[in-house]
Amino acid sequence: MLWPVLGDDGLSPTSPSRAAPLKGVNKLGPLLLCAPCKPSHRKNQNSTQWYVQQPTWRLWGEERGDGVIYTVYLKKVRYHRPTRSLSASDSDDEISHLEWETVRVRFLKAGTVQRLVESLANDDGELESTYINVFLATYRAFTTPRDVLELLLARYDALDENSVALTGEQHRKTLVQALHVWLDAYPGDWKSPPNHPLLARLLDFTHRRLPGSELELKARHRLHRFQREDQIDSCLVYDNGRMQGPGDSIVDHWPGYTFPEVPHRHFAEQLTRMDAEVFRKLVAHQCLGAVWSRRDRSRSHDAATVLATVNQFNAVSLRVISTVLMETNLKPQERARILETWIDIAQELRILKNFSSLKAIVSGLQSNPVYRLEKCWQCMPREKHELFRELERIFSEENNAWTQRELLIKEGTAKFADTAGRSDRHLQKIFQKQNTHSGNISYGTIPYLGTFLTDLTMIDTAIPDTIAEGLINFDKRRKEFEVLARIRLLQGAANAYNFSTDPLFDRWFHSVIVLDDREAYKLSCQIEPPPPGNTLNNRGKKKQSNHQGHRKNDSIASTSSSSSSQFYCDLDSLPSSPHNSLDRRTSPSQMSSSSSSSSLPSLDVSLSSGGAGSSGQHSRLQLPPSGLANGSTPNLTGPMSPTHSHKSSPDFYIIKVTMESDSVETEGVVLYKSIMLSNNERTPQVIRNAMLKLNIEGSPDQYTLAQVLPDREMVLPSSANVYYAVNTAHNLNFILRPRRDVNEGNVDSPKNKTTNHKQ
Amino acid sequence: MTRPPNNDNLMTFKLVVVGDGGVGKSALTIQFFQKLFVTDYDPTIEDSYIQHTEVDKQWCILDVLDTAGQEEFSAMREQYMRKGDGFLLVYSVTDKQSYENIINFYTQILRVKDRDVYPMLLVANKVDLVHLRKVSEEQGRELAHRLGIPYIETSAKDPPLNVDAAFHEVVRIIRNQPPAELEKNRRKRRRSGKCNLL
Repeated sequence: MLWPVLGDDGLSPTSPSRAAPLKGVNKLGPLLLCAPCKPSHRKNQNSTQWYVQQPTWRLWGEERGDGVIYTVYLKKVRYHRPTRSLSASDSDDEISHLEWETVRVRFLKAGTVQRLVESLANDDGELESTYINVFLATYRAFTTPRDVLELLLARYDALDENSVALTGEQHRKTLVQALHVWLDAYPGDWKSPPNHPLLARLLDFTHRRLPGSELELKARHRLHRFQREDQIDSCLVYDNGRMQGPGDSIVDHWPGYTFPEVPHRHFAEQLTRMDAEVFRKLVAHQCLGAVWSRRDRSRSHDAATVLATVNQFNAVSLRVISTVLMETNLKPQERARILETWIDIAQELRILKNFSSLKAIVSGLQSNPVYRLEKCWQCMPREKHELFRELERIFSEENNAWTQRELLIKEGTAKFADTAGRSDRHLQKIFQKQNTHSGNISYGTIPYLGTFLTDLTMIDTAIPDTIAEGLINFDKRRKEFEVLARIRLLQGAANAYNFSTDPLFDRWFHSVIVLDDREAYKLSCQIEPPPPGNTLNNRGKKKQSNHQGHRKNDSIASTSSSSSSQFYCDLDSLPSSPHNSLDRRTSPSQMSSSSSSSSLPSLDVSLSSGGAGSSGQHSRLQLPPSGLANGSTPNLTGPMSPTHSHKSSPDFYIIKVTMESDSVETEGVVLYKSIMLSNNERTPQVIRNAMLKLNIEGSPDQYTLAQVLPDREMVLPSSANVYYAVNTAHNLNFILRPRRDVNEGNVDSPKNKTTNHKQ
Repeated sequence: MTRPPNNDNLMTFKLVVVGDGGVGKSALTIQFFQKLFVTDYDPTIEDSYIQHTEVDKQWCILDVLDTAGQEEFSAMREQYMRKGDGFLLVYSVTDKQSYENIINFYTQILRVKDRDVYPMLLVANKVDLVHLRKVSEEQGRELAHRLGIPYIETSAKDPPLNVDAAFHEVVRIIRNQPPAELEKNRRKRRRSGKCNLL
């Protein structure tokens, strides 16, 4: 058998019987061989392996070899293939003449790395196509690309030396074939700029052993491509730096979208466009438990594409939250319009099968600061409530997120959405309407990735990495591969989306002010103050109201409580602490590169400062109460009046800060970041907050802050209380720039730090 | 041991496991359900995390929600917190930061629940890693005391320490709420049941 010529985008089959699995390396359809998800079998825990589901397979037992364990199955196979012309009428007759035989089929259960690599070829020396898919998708959990390559090359050399006639030849061909598959399916493994040592090693090998071969050509081609990409990358960075001057940084007067008066369908499409882009770039094996959930902070770039998906999800949720809360003076009806708009967008996302942004919106609407605005929810029409409930049900955690899993199975590769629950009246209607012209529709699917991440984390926890004195447990990898294959299948499906970029949408998206948890909660309480009256008894007396209105699923205390008011007051007491903004990385440029996002989003940390002992039998928490006017002493003791300050004018402003610098990379979006300015913050603190949001390192002392007024700039002295110093008659636009007396080059030098250090 | 009685009469408790990534939440959950998985563990089946259990001679159904791996989808956290009847706040004794973050989960739960007390248990995990320990038992107890919730030390490594005990303890805390609270809990359940039929 001759080794086939391989195209760049896939493999040509060596023989008809191998066609499908080999193609699957890139085309992904047949990957699902190992990953059936038949809904009817879901209850049956033993039915998940595909070979068990086929009645012609029977478990025979285990077989041990040197450094390897196999699971052996007996399989009934047809000896003669029935001819294609077989018609229904005579099929019974034909079948009775078929001959069957039973063959033993071995599946590698566990082995040493070396044995795993050797097993890429079967006993006849042919490529095990399913096996190589599993191996390449998961091997990073137990070894490195470098080691695999060395093992492959060493094996090639060894086979050459003591060649066992024909099979040796075949084995070598298979090794080459495996390298082809690897290069095609996982180019990322080979890329490590600037020198790409792995490719160099392969080229060195092919130069010696296989000069002029397809493999050599492919490796060379790949190397050139990487080198071109490296050049382009560096150019891009340079250009961006140059093109973004400070002049076009604050764009306040663009004719853009104003929420909630926005086209729902269009917004859903644009969100889907953004999600699809991130999802397609997702490297599935970064989702593996060994990579994602076991990563430590120093290695987090290993999971950069997963993080980008997470960040996009959070970015959407945060936009929901801030559009609802930002204008504190709206009437409840007006705010309800915002909720409705998001629900309408969510509905469109359901039709587009974009479960990621759909869940992000549902989560945003269910986040506490939004969810607790009862007056506002009550203003929403009944139908919208029902629709919201239907959308919310999709993501119910009931029965291990069963609804969501079912939907993905049913619609993952379908052309359009058409699955609604029996009680989902609104969705049913929508799908019916859609289906009248369903002929033209073809949408992809974007899943909510979190469920996969949890599944992979659980597999990683539940199944040991090694068994039988240190052999790598390959069955675990097969299990993981089932999940990865599903992700990759959906990634393929996501290509069906084709929405062009609307720059105005992008502008809108990036211009939305993002609030951290604390800020959001604070605004929420300003919109609907938690009613006074602290005790449980008080709340117990409250009647459960509003039956058709917004209802909290679990409201044990249906409306309010002292705790929230205490927290509210407590929040007031602390200056906007810098680390609260740490993980709000939302612009796409930051997303793709951010690798160090802290694992825990910030919350109100003020409680931890109060080491004061407390807690009577009733486990009442004693919160460090606040001094409203004097936030610098959060450890004051004494009870708070819970009604305090709710009705007073805002004791903070949202200000927009831009950075004057050539080096800020912005990709043409609005450059400013919004930060919260509370009434006790002095200039260095505000600068520090701004630096964090703008991702600038260094000491606040090296920067100045100025308010941009129509005719001039007002530089804030470093001792100023910015809240009182700002000119509120104009827009609260600020500019942050390096101090003139500090050269840009040595911003970080310790000398500057010490000499300028003031606080 | 007696057989679990008919499902219909049993109280279901939704327990939610929270804590930073890497503190071993998933290991606790898996360990708790291990008897069910035996060999062929499949995380995608619908009853993966539901178990009949007898706590203090009363049978109940435990429905455990552990979103390990989703810690960074920060926006959806409040959504699932809303569903919990009781919480395990897990930190790793080898990770000071995870200990310090407990307060954030605590605060967020109370806010979401809109209450100033809620059934929670502070779980100090990975106590088997004696040499790597950074958070002492004393510090753990001090925090628990400050929050007014019970404290337990666990390890999911073989042989497991206090894993079942931790889940059972949360059930006890839920049951031991003041009667008024428990009653509200029940009413809520009936209501939400009705809701689903709509």
